[in-house]
Amino acid sequence: MKIGIISFAHMHAYSYARSIQRIDGVELAGIADDNVTRGTKMADTFQTDYYRDVDSLLSAEIEAVIVTSENVHHVDHVTAAAEAGKHILCEKPLATNTVDAKKMVAVCKENGVILQTAFPVRFNTSIIRAKELVEAGKLGRILAMKGTNRGTNPGGWFIDPKKSGGGAVMDHTVHVVDVMRWLMKAEVNEVYAEVDQLITEEKIDDCGILTLEFTNGVFATLDCSWNRNKTYPTWGDVTLEIIGTDGMVSIDAFAQKVNVYSDDKGLAWDFWGDDMDFGLIQDFVTTVLNKREPSITGEDGMRAVEVAIAAYESASRKKPIYIG
Amino acid sequence: MHHVLILGAGTMGKVHAAAYAEMDDVQVVGIVDSDYEKAAKVASPLGAPVFASVDEALSTLDYLNIVDICLPTFMHKEMVFRFAEIGIDIICEKPIARTLEDARGIIDFCREKNVKLFVAHVVRFFPEYELAKKRIEEGAIGKPAVARTFRGGIFPTGWNDWYADFSYSGGLILDMIIHDFDYLRWMFGEVERVYAKSLLGRNLLRLDYALVTLRFKSGVIAHVEGSWAHEGFTTRYEIAGQKGIIDYDSAKEMPLVMKSKKAGKGAGGVAVPESPLKKTPYYLELEHFLLCIERDEEPKVTAEDAYKAVEIAIAALESIQSGKPVTLNSEKVHPRV
Ligand SMILES: NC(=O)c1ccc[n+]([C@@H]2O[C@H](COP(=O)([O-])OP(=O)(O)OC[C@H]3O[C@@H](n4cnc5c(N)ncnc54)[C@H](O)[C@@H]3O)[C@@H](O)[C@H]2O)c1
Repeated sequence: MKIGIISFAHMHAYSYARSIQRIDGVELAGIADDNVTRGTKMADTFQTDYYRDVDSLLSAEIEAVIVTSENVHHVDHVTAAAEAGKHILCEKPLATNTVDAKKMVAVCKENGVILQTAFPVRFNTSIIRAKELVEAGKLGRILAMKGTNRGTNPGGWFIDPKKSGGGAVMDHTVHVVDVMRWLMKAEVNEVYAEVDQLITEEKIDDCGILTLEFTNGVFATLDCSWNRNKTYPTWGDVTLEIIGTDGMVSIDAFAQKVNVYSDDKGLAWDFWGDDMDFGLIQDFVTTVLNKREPSITGEDGMRAVEVAIAAYESASRKKPIYIG
Repeated sequence: MHHVLILGAGTMGKVHAAAYAEMDDVQVVGIVDSDYEKAAKVASPLGAPVFASVDEALSTLDYLNIVDICLPTFMHKEMVFRFAEIGIDIICEKPIARTLEDARGIIDFCREKNVKLFVAHVVRFFPEYELAKKRIEEGAIGKPAVARTFRGGIFPTGWNDWYADFSYSGGLILDMIIHDFDYLRWMFGEVERVYAKSLLGRNLLRLDYALVTLRFKSGVIAHVEGSWAHEGFTTRYEIAGQKGIIDYDSAKEMPLVMKSKKAGKGAGGVAVPESPLKKTPYYLELEHFLLCIERDEEPKVTAEDAYKAVEIAIAALESIQSGKPVTLNSEKVHPRV
């Protein structure tokens, strides 16, 4: 099976490419990138062909593509790939607005191609274990959740709203919202958020606390801030605490780490747990091979985007936004 | 020499009594509690008399200059009024009162009667909490941006299960995370807006959990988590600023843990953590209040601060009930929640 990658703008492309190379019978057949320097360098690193434009990659003999371009370009790249009959794994956030997201879901359906949203956190082994515990009824009825997905400010196009569609809220809302929806099989129906630019000098939101209400009556909060500073021992976190009538579970998805103290870098947390990006790619490959429903659909991607958009609206109107 | 009458020999009465026992210039002149045996246990190491009621204490005692109120929250007002009326300075456990009107009434009455009033917001006296404030003021993390706090453990037990009665205690928000409201306000100034969710009113037996977002006028966003759904008791904070992060987790920073092989008293095989200090935060707090009385000085936490903390808590409760954010405005009359 041959897979192409559209753009290395998003750094996840790197670990997706590495994951492809680790799977037998799957080949990274080409990279399209409008940035020639980056594209040729990556093609060289992964020993594959470089294409200057997306259409020539799409006319090559590939079955699927991974879209890891800047957020605002997802819609064009997914549309082009769908029309070329390629199956698609699209980086999160699926789109920067719900109109685009709907369009992407529709065009993939029309062309009979798979659209999977890249939510690798679903493949974190501790998160999977938590889902097992929830489904086994160990917590009783779920009452509340509290999540964080904090990080360092990624800079570059991420802090240019014309390319990213927004800052920390756009970047870091969707992962944990997706996990919450997935764990409970419930939808978010109300969003309240306090959002601001409090750290960077650039004009982009970098701090946010969201409060969510779900269709099953559960409430939750999510901290999506880009507030890990340079000397923090790691880039960021994914944590989730689930409070139930019979117990609670506390997940720190990257707590499988050793502490490294070096004169150069101070303290660094070195992760040794399972590679969730590899899990995601493996799942996508299996989905394409078996032509089955993707485990994480375009609709899943769209629902998470809706929450991020509602968070911005809530913050500017200073009131909860109903999205049911 | 201070002559202190302690009201209540429950959890806090015991803690305060133990602190006074260490002080040279304090004489505990009595402990009032309707449960005589409980009070006797607390009083005997101090050699203090036990009274079954305030009436009995007042008719027996020749002299006292301070009353220390460690009774359930809903009784604070009545007791403050009784002692302010006769000119006794007052130390009162937090929250100052069950309602904002009672809090105002208490403050006004003490002023009218010219007695001093100290409210025991003890978190300001915890060295690990004070240190964060100090470091932030020194610029260690730059301008603060996002703060997160946690305080919680198992559902508290008290006299007559008064904690479980919302009209007596105000629940998790007024009783417990008011500590963090006060602490955060101490560091970041006035609160602009409050939004909160909790399990209040969901008819869950001895279970509560709350997630509160505070927006400060200074711009800081704070996430305050409170739990009566966890085990044990822990507190945590993390403050992220423009140039750094400062955090603390009582479950991780443990200077001493004792594990006994002997079963018995429910502690067999169970780890018992301690954070030993020469002076406990409660000692430091009471010592400070006594010094303020002696020197006629403003305390580190004023009665007005205690009022503001209740105001934030009541706003959070309003938000939970209405599903809407509540903008703080001291002029506004708050409905009774
Ligand atoms: N600062 C803190 O960390 C902290 C911690 C816990 C409680 N508190 C506060 O301290 C206060 C007391 O709480 P607690 O946990 O000690 O309560 P508790 O239930 O443990 O103790 C209350 C005591 O009051 C006695 N009592 C009840 N009614 C009485 C009456 N009419 N006359 C005389 N005695 C009476 C009871 O017998 C009991 O011993 C509350 O306002 C609470 O919010 C503060």
